[in-house]
Amino acid sequence: MPEIPAGHPFMLWVVIAFLGFSLLLYCLMGGADFGAGILEIFMGRENRRAQREIVDRALGPVWEANHMWLILMVVILFMGFPGVYSRVSTNLHLPLTAMLMGIIARGCAFTFRHYDAVKGRSQKPYNLFFAYASLWTPFWLGVVTGALVPGGMTMEPTGYLDGYVRPWLRPFPLALGLFTICLFALLAAVYLIGESPAGPIRKRFARRAVAASAAAVASGGVVFWGAENDGIHLALKFAGSLPAIACMVAATVLMPVLWVSLTREWGWGSRILAGGQIALILAAWFAVQFPVLVRMREGRDLTFFNAHAPAATLNQLGWALIVGAALILPALFYLLRVFKTESAARDID
Amino acid sequence: MQDLLAARSQMAVSLGFHIVFASIGMAMPFLMAVSHFRWLRTGNPVYRDLTKSWSRGVAIFFATGAVSGTALSFELGLLWPKFMEHAGPIIGMPFSWEGTAFFLEAIALGLFLYGWNRIPPWIHWGVGAAVGITGVLSGVFVVCANAWMNSPAGFAWVNGQAVDIDPFRAMFNPAWKSQTLHMTLAAFEATGFAVGGLHALLLWRRPSSAFHREAFKIALLIGSVAALIQPLSGDRLAKGTAVRQPMKLAAMEAHFRTERCASLMIGGIPDAEGKCVRYGIRLPYLLSYLAHGDFQAEVKGLEEFPEADWPPLSIVHGAFQIMVGAGSALAALSLAFLFLSWKRPELLVHPRFLIAAALSTPLGFLALEAGWTVTEVGRQPWIIYGIMRTRDALTPMPGLVYPFLVFSAVYLFLALVVSWLMLRHIRAVEKSGA
Repeated sequence: MPEIPAGHPFMLWVVIAFLGFSLLLYCLMGGADFGAGILEIFMGRENRRAQREIVDRALGPVWEANHMWLILMVVILFMGFPGVYSRVSTNLHLPLTAMLMGIIARGCAFTFRHYDAVKGRSQKPYNLFFAYASLWTPFWLGVVTGALVPGGMTMEPTGYLDGYVRPWLRPFPLALGLFTICLFALLAAVYLIGESPAGPIRKRFARRAVAASAAAVASGGVVFWGAENDGIHLALKFAGSLPAIACMVAATVLMPVLWVSLTREWGWGSRILAGGQIALILAAWFAVQFPVLVRMREGRDLTFFNAHAPAATLNQLGWALIVGAALILPALFYLLRVFKTESAARDID
Repeated sequence: MQDLLAARSQMAVSLGFHIVFASIGMAMPFLMAVSHFRWLRTGNPVYRDLTKSWSRGVAIFFATGAVSGTALSFELGLLWPKFMEHAGPIIGMPFSWEGTAFFLEAIALGLFLYGWNRIPPWIHWGVGAAVGITGVLSGVFVVCANAWMNSPAGFAWVNGQAVDIDPFRAMFNPAWKSQTLHMTLAAFEATGFAVGGLHALLLWRRPSSAFHREAFKIALLIGSVAALIQPLSGDRLAKGTAVRQPMKLAAMEAHFRTERCASLMIGGIPDAEGKCVRYGIRLPYLLSYLAHGDFQAEVKGLEEFPEADWPPLSIVHGAFQIMVGAGSALAALSLAFLFLSWKRPELLVHPRFLIAAALSTPLGFLALEAGWTVTEVGRQPWIIYGIMRTRDALTPMPGLVYPFLVFSAVYLFLALVVSWLMLRHIRAVEKSGA
């Protein structure tokens, strides 16, 4: 663990906790949401309509709320760590724009396919846009996250490529983009098992979940390979951090348990296992990275400690987050309770 | 195309697009709540059909507004990173509250849209109302931040750095009340007349439809009330602008010379070189009165400010004329609507009145877009008035014309698709014989 300099306002910790919490929930809920679109590409031709109906029913009431965690992260970065927000939006302009295009296309296509008054030929382009934008967006999300680490971000670019392309067009971010896709597909498949009636479709979701978890393991290997190529000695770093080792071991041990749970088509058991794995991966990542947010080529990294806003601002932000959570979490709980009980999964207006 | 111009154009396209959907998201839940309330109270199925039909249309607008709003929260940083870096700690507070309100709105919307037969009727109604309340709050918070760009407060600016930051005073800056009121009313006015006008047209084609008659009345009632308060709120905002941003007011009015007993300029084309306005109509003393509440008051002219800092006069003055013109037409129509509702309700469905209402469909949104043009273009060359220039906030990334073209193409395409979806929605409603 790096030394934690003294004298930082208490609210900084609250704000960091909320940033981590939002990232976790965005990966879990937004991830399952993206993954549902990804799966539509890989589900085969049989019973397509029934599968889409399951996806529509499972996501319809909650998808907009699922993506609010991203907004929350943007707000926390912008208000609490403004230098990070501005550095990231400058150097990563292109992948962020690509991600936004995906967010726009995906949200619109999903809503249009449900609310178009005429269910006809237009469904085809909606489905295409929804599915491929669901694949496209998390890829860029992974690329943006990955680009924070290799130290390609720079204050003084020598040219266009150097300033705005090289920070992200490198092995590690691209590998992380791939990994994100696999993880999100896994989350979605696991989530949708519990949303489908027993039968061939549920079986297929379970099989896709196994395939996605295998893909996640493989692409996880690619991430380590990409890291080595980018000069980040990820394996060494993990080895040097006890919490990171513990998390990775736990995540690996959970994998076969998840497979058993999937072959038995356990809804909630599989969800908890898959969600737990994501949480462990993020926790390991956090343990290795802390307190660095952005690695800079010039050497002066942006960290939680040197990039935060003044105490007055952190106080306001911390309180806003606490009060906001007190309002949002019960409402979210009610939303999930109304739509996610077994009896509710059948009839929809 | 210059990078600065490209970035400003992208911002204009994105905001201009988003504001339509955001306004509908603020106001429509209240229209639905009225109709929903009547369904629960009277059991008249017309109100149930109307609420459901509106909500199916609104779902499309909500989703488009949510994704374009998400895009905007990134675009601010993509295009103006220096602005966001300095403004974040000062004005992040309303954004953090906006995040909460937006989140609650998304939750309430999911509950409302999918909650028919699922949650108890009156709770369902309350959830629908909550969509509107959180939507309005989101709008208010965002406009607070914009008001701060016009009248920065809550910090001291020392050597290009903000010190002594007080986020609370920044959020509740001198302009927040008048600007948020003006925008909220505008959302209700624009949405009310757009929806009422559409139903008026359909009612004109099929006068026997109770569905369209009730829809028309609810929408126009809300639109009319907003349209009649709006001039008062505009007056208040203008008086504040005269004090806080005299250059913006002078540009809005195309007022060149500082003088007492200043006259109001209606229409006309401002000529920045000749320092005069061609073809305008002058109403003596009126500008002094409108700006300061006194016919003899001195109104600062553009000559007080360096010419290099003037915003583009024809755009600001022209947009202001369009806003006031469209707003006045709607206020007149509102008076007629309220008078007829009170004295001669049978005349509300008179073909002439319906045609007048149908013609007013785009006016509210026209005024709203023109008003935002006045606010934003009128603040130039500043991004934070008097503190930071727009060009100094710009991202160093070259080639901004390409993102601008991409965003414009996407939003143009989406605008076409949403319009087409609305047409299909209306046709489906007509076919079902409502």
